[in-house]
Amino acid sequence: MKTATFLASLTLAAAAYGWTEHFSFENVATPPGMDPQVGAMDRMPDGRIAVAFHRGEVMFYNPADHSWKLFATGLQEPLGMLAEADGSVLVMQRAELTRLKDTDGDGSADEYETVFDDFGLSGNYHEFAYGPARDAEGNLFIVLGVASNGAPMAKEIRGAFSEIGQVDFNGMTARETWGKNKNTAGRMYARVKWRGWVLKISPDGKTMEPYASGFRSPNGIGFDAKGRLLITDNQGDWRPTSPLYDVREGGFYGHPASLVWQKGWNGGDPRLMDVAKLDAMQTPAAGFFPQGELANSPTWPVIIPQVAFPEGMAGQTVIGEMNQPNLVRVLDDEVDGVFQTALIPMFDGSPLGIGNNRMVFGNDGAMYVGKTALSWAGGKGITRIKWNGKEFLSLEKIKALPKGFALRFSQPLDSLTIKTLAVKRHTYQYHQAYGAPKKNEELLVVGGATLSEDGMTVTLDVGSLAERYLHLIDMTGLLSQEGGKILGNKAWYHVVKAPK
Amino acid sequence: MKQISLTFAAAFSVAAAAPDGKQLFTTNCSACHMLDQMVVGPSLVEMRSLYGGKQDDFVKWSIAPQKKRPGAIEMPSQAHIGEEGLRAIYMHVMQVSKGVTAKKQEKGDPYATAPTHLARPQVQRIFMPDASPAAIAVALDDTNSLCWDAGNCRLRYAWKGGFIDGFSYWQGNGSSLAKILGTVNYTEQASPFGRDQDLKFLGYKVKDGLPVFRYQVGEKMVIEAYSPIGGGLGFVRSFAIVTTAPLVLDFPAQSGVAIVANKGRLEGGKLTLSPAEAAAFNLTFSLK
Repeated sequence: MKTATFLASLTLAAAAYGWTEHFSFENVATPPGMDPQVGAMDRMPDGRIAVAFHRGEVMFYNPADHSWKLFATGLQEPLGMLAEADGSVLVMQRAELTRLKDTDGDGSADEYETVFDDFGLSGNYHEFAYGPARDAEGNLFIVLGVASNGAPMAKEIRGAFSEIGQVDFNGMTARETWGKNKNTAGRMYARVKWRGWVLKISPDGKTMEPYASGFRSPNGIGFDAKGRLLITDNQGDWRPTSPLYDVREGGFYGHPASLVWQKGWNGGDPRLMDVAKLDAMQTPAAGFFPQGELANSPTWPVIIPQVAFPEGMAGQTVIGEMNQPNLVRVLDDEVDGVFQTALIPMFDGSPLGIGNNRMVFGNDGAMYVGKTALSWAGGKGITRIKWNGKEFLSLEKIKALPKGFALRFSQPLDSLTIKTLAVKRHTYQYHQAYGAPKKNEELLVVGGATLSEDGMTVTLDVGSLAERYLHLIDMTGLLSQEGGKILGNKAWYHVVKAPK
Repeated sequence: MKQISLTFAAAFSVAAAAPDGKQLFTTNCSACHMLDQMVVGPSLVEMRSLYGGKQDDFVKWSIAPQKKRPGAIEMPSQAHIGEEGLRAIYMHVMQVSKGVTAKKQEKGDPYATAPTHLARPQVQRIFMPDASPAAIAVALDDTNSLCWDAGNCRLRYAWKGGFIDGFSYWQGNGSSLAKILGTVNYTEQASPFGRDQDLKFLGYKVKDGLPVFRYQVGEKMVIEAYSPIGGGLGFVRSFAIVTTAPLVLDFPAQSGVAIVANKGRLEGGKLTLSPAEAAAFNLTFSLK
C-alpha cells in the first residue's frame, strides 16, 4: 500500500511539468452528424484547412470563424491530399488519384478528374493508397499498400493478376477455402499491379515510372525540408518494427511481396527467397520507431514551419502515430552521404491521445491533428495544438561521432545533470514473421560526457557506434540551467553508417 | 484436441528482470484491444469477464487462438511473447480492467443521417456487389439508383428502392461490400461498345448532383450522363461521342425493360448512329 502511494505521488509530480505548460490542446468541432474520422489534410492557399473524412467528404475549415464548407463528397477512403495553387485539390482515394476542381466558382467541386488510376485493385480491404507528395519539378509520388491475408481477393479485380505465388487466382479469390490458402498466400500479398510500390507520376498525370518497391502499409509519404522523399511503414511481416525510409529511385525497402512486379522478375515467389539475399537487396531504414515504446503505426510526415514551434524545430519533420499517445519528431544526421535519424517522442503525456493520422499547420501557427481508427485502436476528430511561445528544454540536433554522439540542446544545461545520460542499443532480426523482439540489447558504458562552453552541446563518449543498431539515448535526468526538465526525453538513433 | 506446450525459452537475451505486462501489452496487443470497447478484438473488460481466474486458459488461447467471433478477424498466435510474458500481460489486463464497465456499443450506423448521406442525387465510391473494386454508386433520386463501374467504364446495374447501406464497409476498414437497399431492375452484361476495348476512365463532372462520366474507348471520347425518371421508373442516359465513323452500340433487349433511343436506329438490340447522331443522343430506359 505504501509503495502504491509513493508511486502515485511520483506520477503526480511528473504530471506537474509537461507539454501542457507550453502548448494548448483543444478539440475542433467537426460538422454535426458526420463520421469525423480524418483521412487526409492540407492547407488551402487561402489559409483554410482542407479535410477529407473517412466516408469521402472533403470540407474546408476556416480557423478564423470555425466554419465548415462542403467542397466534395463521395470519395472512397481518401488518405492523402495536396492543395493546389488554383484552389483545386488532389486527393488519393482507393481507386485513383483525383483532382477536385471548382470550375463554376460556386465554392464546391463540380469536376472529379481522374489524374491517375493505372494500378491494380484486388478488392482486398488492406489495399490502401497514399499520397501524393510533389517534388520540386511537380512530379507526383504515390505509394500503394499491399493486401492482407485477413481476407481473400475479390472475384473481379482491376488490372492484371500475377501468377507468381503458391496460390492461384481461384484460390486467392475463394472465400470458402481461404482458411486453408491464407497461410501460403503470404501474410501480406501483392498479386495485383504496383501494390507495395512508389509510383512517380509526371505533373500532367500522363506518364508513370515505378520508382521504388518493398512497402507494406506505408501510411505516410512526404518530402522533408531538404527534399528527401520520406515514407513511413507499419510493423508486421518483414517489418521487425515500424521503419522510416529515405526513398531513392530503384530502391527496395524490405517487404518482398511487391517484387513480383519488378521488371523481368525471375526470382520466383519472393516470400520463399533466401532471407539473406533479400536482406542484401534492401535499403536499411533511415529510422526505426521501437514498437510499444515510441510508435506502433506511424503516419504522415509534415515539416514544422517557422514560428509555429520553438525556432530550433523549424524545418524539422514531425510524424504522426496511431497507437501511442504521441507524435514523433525527426532529427536528421548524415554520415558519408547516408541519411539517418534519431526519433523523439513529442506531446507524450499530453492530452493528445491516440489515432494521430494526419497533421497540417495552419496560417495561425497552430498544428491541426486529424484522427482516425478504421476499426483499429485510434481516435476521431481534430485536435488543435498551439505553442504559447514559452521556450523549453529539448534536443535540437544530434550528430553521430566516431566514439558516440554530439547532442545540441535548445537551452544551456545544468552541467551536473549530464552524468545521467544513458545509452542502450539493440538490433532487430529481419524475417518473414510478424514483428520482431529486440535483439542483442546492451547497455553502453558512458566513458565521458563533456559540455560545450555555451552549455548547449554535450559530447557523449560511448565508444564506437554499431551499424544497423538502434541506439537509445535516455535524457530523462537532464535539467536546464534554470532547472527545467526536458520535453521529449528519449532519442532513438538508427546508425546505418557509423562514422570512422 | 491439440496439445499445447506451455514451456518456452526466454524470448530476450536480456531477460533478467520480470516481464513488464503493461509494456508487453502496449507492444503486442494495443493495436487491437482497447480498455472498454471492442475494436478488432474484445475489450479488456470483456477479457476480464471471460478469463477472470483463468490465467492458464488465457495463456493457452493466446498461444493457439482460433476463430471464435463471426465477422471478426482471428488473432495471430502470440507465442513469441512467451509464457512468462503472457502471464504478465494477463495480470496487466486484470488490473486495469478492474471496476471498469464497457462502453455501450451503438447499434446501427450512428452517421446514417449525415447530410451528405441523405443528399439526393448522390455519387458515392464504395465497394459494391457484382462490380469491380472501382465501382461508383449513384442515387439518381429517391427511388432510382445505379452502379457505374470506373474499372471498366460501364453501367453494371440499376435498382429501384432506397440507395445503399455502407455501414458494414465504413464501420470497419473496408473489408465488406455496401448493401443495395432495393431491387435490381436492370443489369448490363457488357459495355455497349463491346468487350475487350481499350478503355480509359477520365473522371466525372457533377451537374445538379448528377454525374457526367467521361472516358475513352480506343480513340473515341465518350461522355455519358444520367437523369432519373421519377417513381423508380428508370432513367435517361445521354451520350456525347466524338467519332468519325458510324457507330453500332449494343443494348440487348431484356424483359421488363423498354429502351427508346431519340436518335439513330435501334433494332435487334443494336443502335446504329451516324457520327452526327453520335455527337448527342439519349436512350430512355423504362424499368419496372
